[in-house]
Amino acid sequence: MKVEISRRRFLQGSVALSVVGGTALSGTSIMAKSEEKTENLLVKKVPTICEMCVNKCAAVAYVKNGIVTKLEPNPYFPKSRNMLCARGVAGIHALYDPDRLKYPLIRAGERGDGKYRRVTWDEAYTYIQEKLVKILDEEEDNRSCIGYCAGEGLAEHTFKTFMADKFGSSNFLNHSTICLQTAVSGYTLTIGGYGLADMENAKYVIMAGANRAEAILTPDTMDMFKRTRGRGMKLVVVDPRYTNTAMHADTYLPIRPGTDLAFVLALTYVAISTKIYNRTYVAKNFVDFDKYEKHILEGGYTPEWAEKITGIKAEEIRKVAHDFMAHAPQSVYYQGRRTTWSSNDFQLRRAMALFTALGGGIDVKGGIVFGKKLPLGDHAVNAPMYANAQPRIDKNVAAVVGATGSWVGWRNMVAEGKTPYPIRGMFVYKQNPMLSVPNSTKTRQMFEKMDLVVVIDTMPSDTAMLADVILPECTYLEREDPVQSFAGVEPAIILREKAIEPMYETKPVNDIMRELAQKLTKPLWEITKKHDEDVQEAIEEDDEQTVFEDGGFDLAEPFMHSQEETNHHMFVSKYGEEAWKILREKGVFYPNMLSYFKKIDNNTYEYYPKDKRFYSVLKLEEEYDSEAFLHDLCVNPGDIAELKRSFNTPNKKVECYLASMVARKVDPMPAWRDEDYVKVPEGKFKFVTGRHAQFTQSSTVNNIMLLELMHENYLWINDKEAEKLGIEFGDTIEVTSRVGQVRIKAYPTPKIVPQTVFYIHGFGSKSEGMTFAHRNGASDNEIIEDTIEPVHGCANMHDTLVTLRRV
Amino acid sequence: MNYAMALDYQNCINCKACEVACKEENGVQLGADKQRIWVGVVEGTIFGKPFANLYPSQCNHCIDAPCVSVCPTNASHFAEGGIVKVDPHKCILCKGCMEACPYDARFVDDTMVAVDKCTFCDHRSLEAGGTTACQATCPTKVRLFGDLDDENSDLVKLLKTKRFFFQKEYTNTLPKLFYILPDDEAYAKQSVSHDTIIHTWDDIKPLYEEAKNRRSKEWKK
Ligand code: SF4
Ligand code: SF4
Ligand code: SF4
Ligand code: SF4
Repeated sequence: MKVEISRRRFLQGSVALSVVGGTALSGTSIMAKSEEKTENLLVKKVPTICEMCVNKCAAVAYVKNGIVTKLEPNPYFPKSRNMLCARGVAGIHALYDPDRLKYPLIRAGERGDGKYRRVTWDEAYTYIQEKLVKILDEEEDNRSCIGYCAGEGLAEHTFKTFMADKFGSSNFLNHSTICLQTAVSGYTLTIGGYGLADMENAKYVIMAGANRAEAILTPDTMDMFKRTRGRGMKLVVVDPRYTNTAMHADTYLPIRPGTDLAFVLALTYVAISTKIYNRTYVAKNFVDFDKYEKHILEGGYTPEWAEKITGIKAEEIRKVAHDFMAHAPQSVYYQGRRTTWSSNDFQLRRAMALFTALGGGIDVKGGIVFGKKLPLGDHAVNAPMYANAQPRIDKNVAAVVGATGSWVGWRNMVAEGKTPYPIRGMFVYKQNPMLSVPNSTKTRQMFEKMDLVVVIDTMPSDTAMLADVILPECTYLEREDPVQSFAGVEPAIILREKAIEPMYETKPVNDIMRELAQKLTKPLWEITKKHDEDVQEAIEEDDEQTVFEDGGFDLAEPFMHSQEETNHHMFVSKYGEEAWKILREKGVFYPNMLSYFKKIDNNTYEYYPKDKRFYSVLKLEEEYDSEAFLHDLCVNPGDIAELKRSFNTPNKKVECYLASMVARKVDPMPAWRDEDYVKVPEGKFKFVTGRHAQFTQSSTVNNIMLLELMHENYLWINDKEAEKLGIEFGDTIEVTSRVGQVRIKAYPTPKIVPQTVFYIHGFGSKSEGMTFAHRNGASDNEIIEDTIEPVHGCANMHDTLVTLRRV
Repeated sequence: MNYAMALDYQNCINCKACEVACKEENGVQLGADKQRIWVGVVEGTIFGKPFANLYPSQCNHCIDAPCVSVCPTNASHFAEGGIVKVDPHKCILCKGCMEACPYDARFVDDTMVAVDKCTFCDHRSLEAGGTTACQATCPTKVRLFGDLDDENSDLVKLLKTKRFFFQKEYTNTLPKLFYILPDDEAYAKQSVSHDTIIHTWDDIKPLYEEAKNRRSKEWKK
């Protein structure tokens, strides 16, 4: 093997690179070449929190003359470990993106044709007010006739406070059912929490479908890749694709998509049948283990059975099960994040949690840990009761539909006109459902049915192009956001401060909510008085002003304080003024930070001394006390693992059998069902989607710096199959599913299993407002079918069959 | 002072944070072929199974730098601590240095109308506690910048405990990117070719000291 690399050859050969904007200057080049030290005196360093993805890494913004010139990692936050990834560093180009939404806009043409006129904020609010008054009058004050959705972020809660608590709609949607709902719920119902994988200490990790090298998650990504490749952590990667994570694996097991549950059940079979699991731990901490044991052994989940389904050799499965248990309790079957794959997903996550628990690796150093969360003060909201507000429309689309709904289920009901009451409008904050929800055609149909679509965002996304009103939010570098506490082995509180004033006419969401609420309060109160019998009765008993005030009908009330004042209140009530100064200066706070925090060298920091970290936090007795925690006792983690602990589940134990699920027609124990598995017929391919480290879904696709790293997405297809079909690198391929068709360039590679094709999520924007991202590659959700799994109504993102045609 | 860098290349995940940080820090021209820093990817299959190795890389700041020797205008020169730099005002774009460099570390910056390359971020890395932009931003902390002359530097302390290799050592330019070999024999073998020479600090120190003494007269203060 040759190790020398010609850089030029690499440039030609890599699909991840292409030349963009040949002579363009980077945004900072005007400032950056200067080396005069005196100039540095004028630089202001503002602690901020990155919002280029959901991890919330602590950063420092260098501000010179009101211009952000550089973003550097802020070392104080334990979770972000003194780093900024490619997206984080390129955050400057989110701020200075020439295509940003700059002014409020009202649609001037047909929906979707991209014609808008610039208006003042007041005109925009008035437009929304008039439409809402008419709609709510017609719907007799059923607040739920307006849906709303939000992308994850520090200010998400502010938007939710308005829409849920004040405006009063029950129809909320967020990313969880197109993301990680099944994993969170599968782990929580089984071991009492989703937990965090302690990648700093785990000795054996099975990472199936998760891709921590390309879907960066802090601190897991930073912790694990310093320990792979023979340096303390044995890594097994199970994935239909050979990812950058697989490059670090001791064992890479290519698997047929949709068959992970068979793999885990076979591992469990080996562990139980050969009695290599931690029997003391199981005896003390499991409930209904006898049922599970019988179910697994009698289910015939042998490695030979699983080999036929997964394509992974039976002896490999045996070896992994034995190695896992040999390293337990420092062995983790990694939970994963975007876990909406197939209809058995909830059961898969349960089986994974149970398998980890069989080794005793829960609530113990090197296993799945829960950590501690530092408390913050309250910010109470007086939420009015609307008698006519209906419950959410999608509560019957799956067994357990939570407060965040089922995105696909909800959208389909609206698009197909099957709602119990009309959904007349939608408020969209920082989400781009046109690209993020499977079957874009139906998402468009949904919006087309609505009388009022309001989008609050920073970029003219494909979804914004379907709005009636667009309200421009400022970027994360132009605002202070709600202070937030992060649970972990090394917990901390972080604060995003404003680096510069909002540009153009953009505003932070707290201001937008306040101004909109002030505009809406009076006219909507009139509607409520007209239709709400409870309110009418109350007014007869009391006077109107009292009902209005005590009932919380002043919609603007939670937003009257500046974000800084609210943060001050929430933080100082717990930690005092001295700590507040530290938080504002460093952007991060945890008790004893100034004495605990140590720089070891330019690459290494210590946040908490080793004996002050929160590895084991569950109470080691019968009753459960969520406030109680236990420090690392500096004893053998194996001994700690075997202690009897009180899990945060109904039985206070690891739950093998979920009796409550039987009535909901959900398997109480993980079981493989052939009929749920989508087989791939001859001539077809299964489509899988995923991420990589240079873009965050569709939110960063117009970033010129990141586009240099990857300009468009490519269709991965197994090289041998491509050869048979005569497909070569760069050929344009038409990919057709039951719900859509896209064109995308081919990338034949040995790095993907046969009968499977893949391309990266987030590309393929059609909005002409996105100059640099416009039609780069293809959007996965144009072809992904809109089926959902039965437990939470999560999207089945890996159950779509496609055909390919070379054009 | 003799500046160099160790690379724990086994940590690399090809996230390209270093590339972006370098561009932002140094105002490098945009364009995928305009890079002071890159990640070399070697990938293929062994017995039908895919494999890949990553070699994050940049200018080696060679002690016997051919790019400096060939430069007709002295635009390419040694700055403080042996850092190899280009003075854009003297560069006439003859591109001789680009031909001479065995590492392909140089490119034409059209905005400066000059050749550009890594500077080891000497505007920030030479300050007390300072470091390069690529080192600071890296999620898995692949790089460690330091001074080979300082026995107490984190760099020399690391080199004393590890084995390492250089890329294209046969070109005899005395490069200063030290690739840290994993202790684990199997992984060590997997990421080097059969003829790669493995070094320790004891064998490399006299060689590099001698070379430094020979060339450092040319180094600017
Ligand atoms: S992982 Fe990257 S994009 Fe995400 S918050 Fe951290 S620096 Fe920002
Ligand atoms: S930042 Fe670090 S991990 Fe990422 S590509 Fe560069 S060297 Fe590799
Ligand atoms: S790597 Fe190339 S550019 Fe850098 S010093 Fe050596 S020869 Fe010169
Ligand atoms: S040391 Fe500085 S100039 Fe050189 S590659 Fe790293 S960031 Fe770029």
